[in-house]
Amino acid sequence: MEQLRGRSLRRRFGLVSGELAMWIVAAIFILPIYYLFVTTFKTPEQALLAPLGWPESWSLSKYADAIRTMHYGRALWNNLLISAGAVTGIVACASLAAYTLARRRRLYSRAVFGLFLAGMMVPYQMGILSLFRLISEMGLMNTLTGVIFIEIAYGLPFSIFLLKGFIESTVPIELEEAATIDGCSVFRTFVAVTLPLLTPVIATVTILNVLATWNDFITPLLFLQSRDKGVLLLEVFRNIGQFSVDWTSLFPMLFLSIAPLLLFYLLLQRYIIAGMTAGALKG
Amino acid sequence: MELTTRRRRGRLEPMYALFLLPALAIYALFFLYPALSTVVYSFTNWSDINPRDLSFVGWKNYKAIFDEDIYLTGIRNTLIYAVLSTLLINGVAIPLAVALNRSFKTRALLRSVFFLPAVFSPLIIGFLWSYLYSTSDFGLINQGLTAIGVGKINFLGDANLALYAVIFTQVWQWAGYNMVIYLANLQSIHPEYYEAAQLDGAGPWQIFKAITLPLLAPAITFCTVTVMISGLKVFDIIYSLTSGGPGHATETIVSLMVKKGLGEGFYAFGSAFGVLFVGIVGLITYAQLRLVRFWGAR
Repeated sequence: MEQLRGRSLRRRFGLVSGELAMWIVAAIFILPIYYLFVTTFKTPEQALLAPLGWPESWSLSKYADAIRTMHYGRALWNNLLISAGAVTGIVACASLAAYTLARRRRLYSRAVFGLFLAGMMVPYQMGILSLFRLISEMGLMNTLTGVIFIEIAYGLPFSIFLLKGFIESTVPIELEEAATIDGCSVFRTFVAVTLPLLTPVIATVTILNVLATWNDFITPLLFLQSRDKGVLLLEVFRNIGQFSVDWTSLFPMLFLSIAPLLLFYLLLQRYIIAGMTAGALKG
Repeated sequence: MELTTRRRRGRLEPMYALFLLPALAIYALFFLYPALSTVVYSFTNWSDINPRDLSFVGWKNYKAIFDEDIYLTGIRNTLIYAVLSTLLINGVAIPLAVALNRSFKTRALLRSVFFLPAVFSPLIIGFLWSYLYSTSDFGLINQGLTAIGVGKINFLGDANLALYAVIFTQVWQWAGYNMVIYLANLQSIHPEYYEAAQLDGAGPWQIFKAITLPLLAPAITFCTVTVMISGLKVFDIIYSLTSGGPGHATETIVSLMVKKGLGEGFYAFGSAFGVLFVGIVGLITYAQLRLVRFWGAR
């Protein structure tokens, strides 16, 4: 009995010290993000003296400057339009397509699924030169519409893969058959019976694609040239290098550009982590 | 009954096929067409000087890749980058996941902290690290190194170091994300396995080797393959940290495609590079899947 209690005490102690050790590792790990945040409130001299120290003042004037220089409102709006447009398009097109791919086993269906699978293997960067020509010839150069279509095309394969797997493994086909016998059209069956059951996987697909479209840099870089179409990453990219002396001025811009996703993460972290792991272990 | 449903379903077939149309149309136009036409363009003399009147030139563009050192350097850098980042990211993520897979009170919070860097764009992470690595007085890492007497190291300016300095930032950014996937996999392992092993007197290392690692096979397959593929595609972090320099020390396949193909107008040549790129990605992914499967079967 004594021995057992001693053992469990030792175990408790091991657990607490282990947890403490993990927090020390986590603190070192997160140091660059902390540094990014505190530097936004410092002058170059203050940052030089105490790079990791707590800021002396919480003046927001540097943020105000950054918001002006990077046309924050406009860039944020462009980002929102692209992500919202692309994610809506992906969810709508992918769930419709996945429904047929999951429920029909004819040759055409299997062939189309094969095409989408190929898209998961082939990096889209391969075709950027040809895509560049296509987009200019279609008159979509320097338009958000063009970028949205490209993002939809990139997002479709993996989204369809996830949705198809979910429909096959989780949605009972008997429900759909019952609806069909009751005289529902294919579209009605899909919208009224299948779609409501897809909520968890649609959440996963949405989260994955919000992150992917928001953080995509190469597409806006190549296809959005004019300043008024700029997204956050492009604005940061254009402004970097202008602040060699007053270098801390750049930090509010860096922070502002990650702030929307930081907020998204803080609010929805449980779902984001669950979604990204579900996506992984299914894939 | 059976027959009528089947007949009805048969009549419904065109409707089902129609569902594929929106996805297929967008995908074909903006993904399949560019990918397939790239193969055709790679055999032509398409460039910004000759944008319309294309003619076939055979393997000329492919030969050109192997004639210039810069492209071979790009391929070599990409391979080093992809292989090293795969090994290091997973080498950090697995122990981290095992360490976190205990009944800590704050486990969920710790997990969120380690995951955080993965949410941000590698471009911004690159700009942040270019300050951390800086040799100016404010460079945080060099301040630390000077304080402990090592002296300044020019991480991004030294051609022998730059690529590894880039890799380090990406290990930092992605280890937590992969750790979360390993953690999810670990939690699906039945605790009875561990209890049995402990009763048999197995040590921690033996338990890790004989139970944890084999049962992590699904996560290992996913993580090593996805990290490898995104490593072969690396672009953003290069663009913001070194833009390919110093010299061509950190130039990668995609950065060269953008710089030489688009920037300097050698379109057909860039296309050939793209086709070669897909070949490399396919070959490596195939080899890697075989390797993982071979290891799993053992």
